[in-house]
Amino acid sequence: MEKIKIIIIDDETPARELVKHYLKEVDDIEVIAECADGFSGLKSISTLKPDLVFLDIQMPRLTGIELVEVLTEKPEIIFATAYDQFALRAFELNAVDYIMKPYEKRRFLEAVKKAIDKIRSGAGNNVPANQLLAQKPELPAPVNRIVVRKANSINIIPVDQVRYVEAQDDYVMIYHATGKALKQQTMKYYEENLPKSDFVRIHRTYIVNVAEIKQIEPYGKDNHVAVLNSGDKLPVSRSGYKQLREDLGF
Amino acid sequence: MKHPVFQNRVRLIVWWLIWLFLAAGQSLLFYFAFGSFSNIGVIDSLLSLLIYSGLALSLWYPFSFFNSSKPSVPVLVGNLVASGAVSVIIWVLVTKLIMQSILPEGNNYQAYYDATFSYRVGTGVFIYGLIILTYYLFISLTNLSEKNAKEARLESLVKETELKMLRSQINPHFLFNSLNSISSLTVTDPEKARTMVVKLSDFMRYALSRKDEQPVSLQSELDNLRLYLEIEKVRFGDKLTTEENIETNCLDFKLPVMLLQPLYENAVKHGVYESTETVRIITEARMIDGFIEIIIKNNYDTVPSLRKGTGTGLLNVTRRLELFYGNKASIKTTKENNIYTVTLYIPAGVS
Repeated sequence: MEKIKIIIIDDETPARELVKHYLKEVDDIEVIAECADGFSGLKSISTLKPDLVFLDIQMPRLTGIELVEVLTEKPEIIFATAYDQFALRAFELNAVDYIMKPYEKRRFLEAVKKAIDKIRSGAGNNVPANQLLAQKPELPAPVNRIVVRKANSINIIPVDQVRYVEAQDDYVMIYHATGKALKQQTMKYYEENLPKSDFVRIHRTYIVNVAEIKQIEPYGKDNHVAVLNSGDKLPVSRSGYKQLREDLGF
Repeated sequence: MKHPVFQNRVRLIVWWLIWLFLAAGQSLLFYFAFGSFSNIGVIDSLLSLLIYSGLALSLWYPFSFFNSSKPSVPVLVGNLVASGAVSVIIWVLVTKLIMQSILPEGNNYQAYYDATFSYRVGTGVFIYGLIILTYYLFISLTNLSEKNAKEARLESLVKETELKMLRSQINPHFLFNSLNSISSLTVTDPEKARTMVVKLSDFMRYALSRKDEQPVSLQSELDNLRLYLEIEKVRFGDKLTTEENIETNCLDFKLPVMLLQPLYENAVKHGVYESTETVRIITEARMIDGFIEIIIKNNYDTVPSLRKGTGTGLLNVTRRLELFYGNKASIKTTKENNIYTVTLYIPAGVS
């Protein structure tokens, strides 16, 4: 029987040590890599194609959540995190299991067993990340960056470089200073998590960075369009117009 | 309210001196009214003013009681006039009665009394007015100083509470993260786990055991910050390094306890947590013209973090400096070439 390949991604040394230590008791597995940040974790997953990943959430460069977002081929994932339980409940949908730090050995081995059974039985992990991320409760501070995959590279876009976000079926197209990028994410997520002082949902399909608006022109009978510095014209719905008036005070 | 005259001996002496002075005044007045000077006049004045003084002393009680019920102006005036009239009548009659009983038979007191009667009433009313005025003045002054004292007490209480609150804002995540690491280490490296527990408990003792806002030396602050950084070093290994350039004459400098803690927490949170490279936290301190200059700097990763910081730590330090030093201390932050620097200027002596 082929050994199950495992990658451990956690920025804390003691946490990685503990996972390795506990895994000594499990047969037919092999830890093929250890990573201390999201970027190198992503790279390792792409090149080494593990069967199972132990993933922390709070990490430099790329959080565990962002990492899952941009993965094209998903291995089984066990989140091991000290994050609050609301976020964890959401991850339950996608990850094979999640364990709260600090965890007990019994709980850890249980999660490993569940993962191994799933891998051995050949059941894939097809639940897209956005499904669970849509349910992720709003965190107190607004997001500061958006991670996207473009061809084979990962781009981190600071939110102040985002011009506008456009809804496209199950995806959103993010138009930013140096181009555009498609991301599997909901408009609701961006409406809730982009800084409210800078971004306004002007239309069912558009969230715009107000700093990018050059002018607002009437359009048709009682509609408006927003003209951006880039020259793009976006429709403004009636409620969007009202919201803009409130935020910009005109 | 306590009787104003009986509050100390000086006041009692002054009180009697005033009445003696009033007695002299009255006998002089009555001398002009009666036309000739006599011993009876002197005795009469001394005795009557002694009686009035007793009356005035006892008037305080109904007066302060009545005043504390905050009466309306007409009620107050009516009351004062009525009690004034009663006081003057009692005073005049009692004086006459006693004088007649102590003077030998055949005296001419009745004549003296008749001649000075209207002056007597006038003096009585005048003195009554003086008494009420004095008491009134006393009550308002007392109320004013009590109010001021109360406000000052309240203000210092608010300040103290705020300082306590600000000081106790140790990041709960730090404690939680440390417990996590300890939990891992108990399995993989029990000896290291033990070291970390000791460090953590030393740190918590320092942070929590201080009940007052007594200033501490920079030396003990730095000792404790070192503990904090060592605990974080266990979690992040070589990714966190520290350096200290402290001039020795700074070590005894007194500053508020745990003042610098949030700045190091920031350096760890925004530096170490968000970086893949080694983060070096450098602390510098030197004395400049009675001020201490403390600089804390760290390199950081330029990749934006997922969520911006809330600025709580910096705000906390700024507010505490304000509360302790008014506008004499300052805090400044700069970002340059991937180095985040916080510079503090603190005057010697905590206010």
